[in-house]
Amino acid sequence: MFLRMENIVKDFGVVKALDGVSLTVGESEIHGLLGENGAGKSTLMNILAGIFPPTSGEIYINGIKQENITSKKSTEAGIRFIHQELNTINDLTVYENLFIGEEILNKYHLLDKKAMIQKAKEVFIRMNIDIDPQEIMVNLDTSRKQLVEIGKALLFESKLIIMDEPTTALTNKEIDNLFTIMKALKKEGVSIIYISHKMPELFEICNKYTVLRDGKFIETGDFKNIDEKKATELLVGRSIVEETIKEEHKKGEVIFEVRNLSCSPHFENITFQLRAGEVLAVTGLHGDGRGELAEALFGSRLLTEGEILMNQKPVNLKKIKKVMQAGIGMVPRNRKERSIIKDLSIRDNLSIAHFVCNHKQLFINRKEEIERFEKNQKVTRIKVGSCEDYITSLSGGNQQKVIISRWLEMNSSVYILDNPTQGIDVGAKFEIYKMIHELAKAGKSIIVFSAEFPEIYKIADRCLIMYKGKVNAELTKDELSEVKAMYYATGSNMEELK
Amino acid sequence: MNTETTFQANARSKFKKFYAQHTYVFSFIGLIIIAAVINKNFLTYANLSTLMLQSAIKGVIALGMTLIIISGQIDLSVGSITALVAGLGVVVLNTTGSIFLMLIFCIIFGAILGLINGLLVTKGRIAAFIVTLATLSAYRSIIVQLGQGGPFNVGENVYKSFRLIAAGTFLKIPNLAIIFVIITIIIALIMDKTKFGRYVYAVGSNENAARLSGVNVNKIKTMCFAITGLLTGISAFLLSSRLTSITAPNAGVSFELDAIAAVAIGGTSMNGGRGRIVGTFLGIIMLQMIEGILIAAKIPPFLTGLVKGIIIILAVLLQSKKER
Repeated sequence: MFLRMENIVKDFGVVKALDGVSLTVGESEIHGLLGENGAGKSTLMNILAGIFPPTSGEIYINGIKQENITSKKSTEAGIRFIHQELNTINDLTVYENLFIGEEILNKYHLLDKKAMIQKAKEVFIRMNIDIDPQEIMVNLDTSRKQLVEIGKALLFESKLIIMDEPTTALTNKEIDNLFTIMKALKKEGVSIIYISHKMPELFEICNKYTVLRDGKFIETGDFKNIDEKKATELLVGRSIVEETIKEEHKKGEVIFEVRNLSCSPHFENITFQLRAGEVLAVTGLHGDGRGELAEALFGSRLLTEGEILMNQKPVNLKKIKKVMQAGIGMVPRNRKERSIIKDLSIRDNLSIAHFVCNHKQLFINRKEEIERFEKNQKVTRIKVGSCEDYITSLSGGNQQKVIISRWLEMNSSVYILDNPTQGIDVGAKFEIYKMIHELAKAGKSIIVFSAEFPEIYKIADRCLIMYKGKVNAELTKDELSEVKAMYYATGSNMEELK
Repeated sequence: MNTETTFQANARSKFKKFYAQHTYVFSFIGLIIIAAVINKNFLTYANLSTLMLQSAIKGVIALGMTLIIISGQIDLSVGSITALVAGLGVVVLNTTGSIFLMLIFCIIFGAILGLINGLLVTKGRIAAFIVTLATLSAYRSIIVQLGQGGPFNVGENVYKSFRLIAAGTFLKIPNLAIIFVIITIIIALIMDKTKFGRYVYAVGSNENAARLSGVNVNKIKTMCFAITGLLTGISAFLLSSRLTSITAPNAGVSFELDAIAAVAIGGTSMNGGRGRIVGTFLGIIMLQMIEGILIAAKIPPFLTGLVKGIIIILAVLLQSKKER
């Protein structure tokens, strides 16, 4: 056995990200690590790569117990990590990115550019792709950036490569190339931990699997012995499958309309309508312009063209306050960076949008604010000790409920939810799904931006799938399936047209 | 666990929380004890009122600096604003003979100079550090040129009545101390009880989130600079009354250092988002007390700068330790 991780526990404050997880990977093995987003896969891999230490648990590499594993030690042990998000430095060249932190030096201890460029070329030839090592990173599209990221792992000899969703931005041809390389590596005795949400890929390339759910170890075994249905069941867990009854929403008049919205270079020519009581999902893969579109709908990004209509009236997008007054509310992605105000109390975090639009008195009345909090707390079931505490004292799920309450308090007609369940536990996720259903029932319109297919499936009436800044497909609830969503999100239809 | 020990544990954790949030109160009490031990006359009425009197002029500026730092900015130009407003204020006083007109001039002109800082930071998208470093140099240069290096003296006709503003007392309390306390209360109310106050904290804590909640971030930042300019204008008015002669190259020099030091000692986070007006109020008094202690301890006056520098670093070090 090359790697043995036993009983790994990891706490992030109140949140238990991993609860007694074990993982064993042999030599020449491609090991599929399965789990929904938030199941703890990335946390486990970050521990293995020495990015942060486990709260408790043991790690053995080649049978030797590892104490205080750091990223340096992990790299020395031959472990390479291809990250899910692209960690590229856009102003540097491709080869500088490849060798960052591990530059080749000449005898005078200066950078040996020639050797690095040569080695980069060799790697790209091996990967069967055509990238110039001296190209500036910013000129590469998302799929090529991802290939560079993969190339990093092949530069140096390694024993174990962790691939965290490496194919999200790749075309089918590029995925085939990647699989060929992976098979070659396996023959050389290299092991791979492969994280992916795409079942067909997992079954094609992996021989072993380990399933995590909610930070707990569920099962490990041979892919030979299971099928896709069984794997999905392990992944999702039975009890939850039964809970996900899709609800019908009664739809009213068109209330929100987007016409020819463009913001170069992120997205262009986006047009859609939204009815009262409708839940619209917008999905796609990294680099699809979805996040920028969400911002533009709320007036926080300058448009190059197009307009937004609310009840047939154009919305003034110059000022966010005007957008709010038109009846649009927004729960942004990346809660920590964009929505929570860490130095304000829970109740101030809730009331701030109210202060901007509806608060008219000179002074803030403490009693009124506490009442406002308690009123919302009943609806969104926020669990708190005191609403005077800092918002950072809450768990991620409760923080998000405060942010949702911020907009419920505004009584908006259209809610833009950008990745609303990011980094929160499964229980809170379901409460948020329920809230979305309830809002829709109350005649509110909701646009959910999400990359998590299981989530979209549970809540959406309709789904727009974006690819490279354009709406590539629109699927109704009945047409919606993960395979179809992936097909359009990867732009496979475009490839076939060529 | 019986109820009594639970009560004790509760009280202890409450005390810990209070201590963490209001460390400046304990530093203040500690300093008073030290000062009283070193200087037998420290706790006399005369000494305490002198202390307040000395703190007031810089204190009013430090109140504005607190807003600026909570909102995540910095203003290095307050000393130069003081000189420019005070110098021209004296000219206004001498030509009009009206103290009231001079006060109005100082308030408006100070606010305008602060507004210029704010607009350069927000509309020009230049870092506050750079903008105010530039205006620190520019504002001072204007007044030195206008005064041709010489002083601006308050004219004979208004000298007596004007001098009385800073030198006078009300119910045996120095006027300056009363003005300082009143302005402190007003600013503390604004920061604690109004929407504007909440926005200042919000902008300093998370600018992005504040913007996405509809807060006009640029307006709030600009207003912080304008308010600081306005308060500095008031301070310049008081300084003119106290000195009755403004020497352009010297007036208000290193006021920004004292104001920032007071804010830091007062427990305001240098990263923005957290801080209290009361802290700054006590902070400037503490700074003045330390100067007094240095004199009493016969430390050469040339070394006060060194001591202030060390105090700023220590205050911020303690803070970042808490935030970690």
